[in-house]
Amino acid sequence: MSEHARLESPMGLMIDRNTQVSFSFDGKKYQGFRGDSIASALAANGRWLLSRSFKYHRPRGPLTMAGQDANTLVQLDKEANVLADRALVENNIKVNGQNYNGSLENDRDAVLGHFSRFMPVGFYYRSFFKPLPLASLFSKRSDSWPMWEPTIRKKAGLGVLDLDFQPQYYDKAYLFHDVVVVGSGPAGLSAALKAAEGGASVLLVEEQPLLGGALSYHRFDAEGIQADQLRAQLLSKVECNSNIKVLKNATCNGWFADNYLPIIQGKRMYKVRARECIVASGSFEQHVVFRNNDLPGIMMSSSATRLMKHYAVKPGQRALVLTGNDDGYLAALDLHDQGVEVAAIVDMRASVESEVLASAVKGRGIEILTGHTVYEAIPTKGNKHVRAVEVRAIAARGIVELDGRTIDCDLVCMSAGYMPVYQLLCQAGGQLSYNDQAAEFSLSKLPQHLHVAGSVNGVHGLSDVMADGERAALQALEALGLVQDVEVPKINCDRRVNFEWPIFSHPKGKDFVDFDEDLQLKDIVNATRLGYRDVQLVKRFSTVGMGPSQGRHSALPTARLVAKATNRSVTETGVTTARPPFSPEKLAHVAGRIFDPYRRTTMHHRHNALGAKMMPAGNWQRPAFYGSAQDRDRCMQAESTHVRNKVGVIDVSTLGGIELRGSDAAEFMNRIYTFAFLKQPVGKTRYAVLTNEHGVVIDDGVACRISDDHFYVTATTGGVERVYREMLKWNAQWRLDVDIANVTSAFSAVNLAGPHSRKVLEKLTADVDLSSEAFPYLAYREGHIANIPARLLRVGFVGELGYEIHVPSRYGEALWDALFQAGEEFDIRPFGVETQRLLRLEKGHIIVSQDTDGMSHPGELSLEWAVNRKKPFFVGRRSVDIVMAQPQTRKLVGFTLPKDAIKPEEGHLVLKGKDISGNVTSCEYSPTVDAIIGLAYVGEDQCQTGSRFPIRVDNGFQVEAEVVDLPFFDPNNDRQTL
Amino acid sequence: MSAISPESFLKRSAVYRNLTGARFKEMAGSAIVAANNNGSDKATRSGLLDLSTLPRVGYRGGNAASFLETVDLPVPSKPNQFLQASGGELVLRLSPQEFWVLSALRDEGENIEALRRRQLPTSDCYSLYCQDSHAWLVMTGEHLPQTLAKVCGVDLSDEAFPVGAIAQTSVARINVIVVHHEVNNIPCFSLLCDSAAAEYLWDCLLDAMGEFGGEAVGIECLVQNLSGKN
Amino acid sequence: MKIMHCPLNGPRNISEFVHGGEVKAMPDPANCTDHDWADYVFYTDNKAGVVVEWWLHAPSSYWFIAERHTVTDDIIRTYDPSEVFKQRVEFSTESDVSTEAGQMKLKGVGA
Repeated sequence: MSEHARLESPMGLMIDRNTQVSFSFDGKKYQGFRGDSIASALAANGRWLLSRSFKYHRPRGPLTMAGQDANTLVQLDKEANVLADRALVENNIKVNGQNYNGSLENDRDAVLGHFSRFMPVGFYYRSFFKPLPLASLFSKRSDSWPMWEPTIRKKAGLGVLDLDFQPQYYDKAYLFHDVVVVGSGPAGLSAALKAAEGGASVLLVEEQPLLGGALSYHRFDAEGIQADQLRAQLLSKVECNSNIKVLKNATCNGWFADNYLPIIQGKRMYKVRARECIVASGSFEQHVVFRNNDLPGIMMSSSATRLMKHYAVKPGQRALVLTGNDDGYLAALDLHDQGVEVAAIVDMRASVESEVLASAVKGRGIEILTGHTVYEAIPTKGNKHVRAVEVRAIAARGIVELDGRTIDCDLVCMSAGYMPVYQLLCQAGGQLSYNDQAAEFSLSKLPQHLHVAGSVNGVHGLSDVMADGERAALQALEALGLVQDVEVPKINCDRRVNFEWPIFSHPKGKDFVDFDEDLQLKDIVNATRLGYRDVQLVKRFSTVGMGPSQGRHSALPTARLVAKATNRSVTETGVTTARPPFSPEKLAHVAGRIFDPYRRTTMHHRHNALGAKMMPAGNWQRPAFYGSAQDRDRCMQAESTHVRNKVGVIDVSTLGGIELRGSDAAEFMNRIYTFAFLKQPVGKTRYAVLTNEHGVVIDDGVACRISDDHFYVTATTGGVERVYREMLKWNAQWRLDVDIANVTSAFSAVNLAGPHSRKVLEKLTADVDLSSEAFPYLAYREGHIANIPARLLRVGFVGELGYEIHVPSRYGEALWDALFQAGEEFDIRPFGVETQRLLRLEKGHIIVSQDTDGMSHPGELSLEWAVNRKKPFFVGRRSVDIVMAQPQTRKLVGFTLPKDAIKPEEGHLVLKGKDISGNVTSCEYSPTVDAIIGLAYVGEDQCQTGSRFPIRVDNGFQVEAEVVDLPFFDPNNDRQTL
Repeated sequence: MSAISPESFLKRSAVYRNLTGARFKEMAGSAIVAANNNGSDKATRSGLLDLSTLPRVGYRGGNAASFLETVDLPVPSKPNQFLQASGGELVLRLSPQEFWVLSALRDEGENIEALRRRQLPTSDCYSLYCQDSHAWLVMTGEHLPQTLAKVCGVDLSDEAFPVGAIAQTSVARINVIVVHHEVNNIPCFSLLCDSAAAEYLWDCLLDAMGEFGGEAVGIECLVQNLSGKN
Repeated sequence: MKIMHCPLNGPRNISEFVHGGEVKAMPDPANCTDHDWADYVFYTDNKAGVVVEWWLHAPSSYWFIAERHTVTDDIIRTYDPSEVFKQRVEFSTESDVSTEAGQMKLKGVGA
C-alpha cells in the first residue's frame, strides 16, 4: 500500500486530506480525498486504465489531467461521457468505464487493434457510404450503412443514457464587467490585477478549481521556489482587490460579437458582456508522435506535475522524460524531488540549451540523452501500461538511427511544445500563422476590445508572461478611458518552447496523431495521398480533430504533416475552424429557464372554469370551444346553433386595438387603409382593409370614428403588432399630426351575439338607447354596461344581432360576470374561436391569413367594394392598380358539398385537369346549412356560381364541390341588422 | 373583520389569483395586497408586489411637457429618467414627448384622479391607456440587479442604473419598462409590462427571485399606516 | 450577441431590435412607370458597403435609422428619422409630384 501513499504537503493543492471519499470504479471500491478528481483518486490507488479507445479499443489512461483529452471519459449512473480528470469524486458514486465489450480490463473488442490495417483511414466512410455502383441502381440494392450501423454504433458507443432522468434546474444570468480575463495563469492574474488597480471592474474566469494556471503545477526555476511564491503573492492581491470577481470551475465556451461570452459554471450559464476582453487562455502541451504513444503511463509532463502538485499523487516509480524544450528538465527535477526515479531525459534537441538546468539535473544523477527520441513504447501484457521504451538517436528530421537501446520505465513524460489555446480568439476572427523559427502558431487580426496575453500570445518566460499580462491590461484600460497617453510596452519573447518535428513514424504504426479517433500518422498522410489536400477536407475524411478533444493535440501535428505531404507551409495549411462551444455543453445550459411568453385575457380563468378547450393564437391563449377535445364537432355545432337561436358570448379581447388621434387622424386612416375615411361619420364603423406595398391584403378590422379627430380601429389578433409598427414607420416619414397608440391590452372585449343579445344588454345599461333606430347596425356608441365604461360596436361578423363591447381591461372579468348574470334568463352561453370561425364562414366572411396568403390582392377576395381608387394614395394603391389591370388567375369562392361527402381540410388542393388551380382555405360542416361549406381559391374559369370543381382530399380521393353565392346563410343580412 | 376580496370590485388586477392567501385591502376603488404572511424584512431582502390597481396616467405629444408644468408636476430633462413629485407621484419621461405619472403609494391615487379630470390642451397632447394596457409590478430588496440579470440583458447595477433611471427593455422576452426608485429606503424596481402578460412575468420573476428567498409581499411591507379600508 | 446603439435608449442587445428594411425613396405612385414602381417594391440594392436602414427598438416601439456596413457589420451611426424626414409629406393626384421638387416633397427629404 505504501507504494500508493500520497506525497507530502505542499503537494496536493486541491485535496482535503482530512475528508475521505469512497466510490466505486468498474465495480471495485476505492478511496480518495475530497477535492480529488475521479482520475486522480484512481491514480492514487495505482489504477491507470480509465477507458478504451474509440476505434481499436486500446487501453487509455490520463493524458493531460486537465480535462483536455478524451482518454478519461467515464460513465456515471446518471450521466455519460464525464471527464474523469475534471469531475470530482463524491461519496458512493458509481463510476464505470465506457466503450468495452466484457470488462474494461479485458475488452474482447481489443482484438480490433489487430485488424487496424483492414480499417484504413476513412474506413467507415468508404465502406458504407461509397457511391453505389451503377449496376446496383438497377438491382435497387441500397447502400449497406443501414444494415451495419447498429453493430458499428455498438462497437463505437460512448456511454449509456439514463432514460429515467429528472429535469434539473439550470438557468442563465447576465454579468457586466469592464474587463473579463479568461484564464488565471500568470498572464491572466497580472492582467486582472493591473486592470483592477486601474479602476476597472474585472471578472477573472478560471476553468480549474484553483487559480494560478501553470503557477499551480509548473516549475519555473531550478530551485523550484519561484512559482509558489509568486502564486501566493498574486492570489493574496487578487483576494484583497474588491474590483475583481473570480469565477472558478467556469469555462468560457465561446466568443460572440461585442465581447459576448457564454461562461458555464455548474448549472448556470453566465452571459457575460465585457467592454474589454483579455484572453490569457494559455496553451496546450503537445505530445510526441511515436509508436504506442497512447499507452497508459505515457502522458504530458504537465499531467505528471499536475498529479503531484494538485493531488499529491506519484505519477510513476521510474520515469523517462521525452522533451524538446527546457520544461522537460524542470519536470524531471520535480519528479526526482518527489521521489520518482528519473531514468533519463531524452532531449530531441541536438544539444542542451540551459546549462543551469542541465547541471541541476546531472547533479541529481539523471542521465541526459540529447539528439534522441523515444521510437517505440513497449507495453505490459494487453497493452495495459508502458513497461519500457526504445530510445534511438535522431538521424534527420523525423528519422531515427537503426539501432537504439531499451530503457525500463513505467512513466513517460512528453514535452514536445505547446499549442496556443486559440479557439476563442479564432472565433473572434483572429488568424493563425505559423512561425517556422519558433515552430509555433501565433495570432493576429483580433477585433477591437479583444486582447491576448501570455503563452497564447507566444510569450513564454515567466517575467515576460507577467509583463505581457500587464501590457494587455494597459491596452484595455486605455480603451476604457481609465488611463491616457500611456506607453504600452512591447514584449518580445525569444524563448523557444516548440520542437519543430516531434513526429517519428514507425513501420508498425500505432504512432497516434489523434487519440480520440485512433488516427495514426499514416492515416493523415494517406488522406493527403487520396487527394484531400485541404486540412478541412482531411478532417472530414479522416475525422481528425472531430473527437471530444477537438484537435487540442492533433491540430498541430496534422497541420505539420499535411504541410509536409503537400509541400506547403504550415501557415498555408492552417488548422480547421474553431467554432463554439469550446468544450461540450449540455442542452440544459443552452435552454436555461426557457422563457416562452404567453398572454391571457382578463377572462381567461372564467374560460377555464367553464371547461374551455384552449388554443394558442399567436402568444395568446383563446378558448376554441367549451368542452373536451374529443367533442370538438359536437361542441361547435351546439354553440353555433345556440348563437343562431338564443344568445352567446365570445371573448374577443385578443383583437388588436389601435387609437388614432389628432387633426390628421382621418388623413392618416385614409393613407393606411384601402377604404375612404375622410367622410366617415362620427358614431359609425367602417370595414378597414390593409394592403402592403405589394398590394397584398395583410390585415383587416373595423374602424370606429369616435370624433372628428379620433378613430379606434381593430386589427387581427396576430396582425396588430405589425400593423402598429407599420403605422409608426409610415408616420415617421409622413409626419402627420396624429398620435398612434396600440391599445390591444388596454381593452377587454366580447362579442355578444344572437337574437336575444339586445335583451341581455338592455338589463345592463341605463345610458345607451339600444333600439335599432337609435343604435342601428354598424353604429358606434359609448355608455356604461353594468356600471363599466364601455365602447359598443354593432357588428355582424357572425351574422346575428350582435354587439362588441370593449371595456378597459381592469373591468374585463367583471363585465364577463355581469353578462352571464344578466343573460341567465336567456340561456346565455359562451362560444369559442372555432365556433366563431364556423359562424362567420356561414356568412362568407374571410379571415385574413386563414383565407388569404402572401399573394392575395383585394380583387381575388371580391373586396373591390372596400377599396377606394379615387383617393390619391393608400399604401399598396399602385400595386393594386397594376395587379388588377392584369388578367386574374384565381378567385376565392364559396363552395358546398353534401354533408356525407369526405370533408376537405384546409390546404387541400383544387384541381383543374392535371393542374393545381387553387386550394381550400376554410371548410366545416354547417348545422345551419346542413352541408359541408367552405372557401377555396379556384381558377378564374372555375369560379362561376353553379360550376363544379374537384378537390383532392386525403388518401388520393377526390370530391366534387359546387361553387355557390356567398353568404351561405341569410343572404339579405336580415338577422344582423335587426 | 370581513375579508376584502378582489372579486368584490369591478376593477381587478391581472394577477390577483396568484395571491391567494394574502390579505387584501381596499385602495383606489379596488383590492390591493396589504400583506402576504410576511413582513418588511422580506421586502428588504427580495419581494414582489402587485400595484396594478393603483392609478397612473400617461400623456404624449408636443404639448405634453408643458401640460405637466401647468399642473405643477416636475418634468425630467431627458428621456428614460423620472422625477418624484411633491405628492410622491413618479413622473416618468419615456421619450421626448411621452410621460407617465404613477400614483404615490400613500394617497390612494387621489392626485392622479384629479389629474385625469384636468382639461388637456386642445392639440398635440393625448392621454394614454397605461392604466389598462400595463400591469405595475414592483420588485424590492437588496438583490434587484442580480435577480433582473437572470431575465434581462441590460446592466441594472447601481452604477449603470442609479435611482432615477428608466430602462425600456426586454425582461423574460417581453417588453417591460423598468424604473429604479426607492420607497422608505428600500430599493425598488417598478416593472410596467403588458397587462395580458402579467401572470407570465409574475411567475418568471418569482422563479428568478427564488435563489434569494424572494416571495410576494404586500404594500404594508413598504409603507406603514396606509389609508384605505382593511 | 451584437450591440446596437439606440438613439433613444442607448446600447442594447441586437435582440431588442427589429430590422425594417432599407430606407428608400418612394417614386411618385401616381405618375411613375410600372417598372419604377416594381423596382421600388421588389428590389433592394443589397450592396457591399454602407447601407441606410430602418430599425425598430421593439420595447419602446421607436423607429430610427442606422447606417451599417454590410461587409464588416459595423454599425456606423444611428439617428432619429426626423434628421431625414423633416416635413409633412403630401400626396396629390396632380402631376407636379413627378417633378424633382415634388419628389423631394414626397420623400420628405430636405434638400
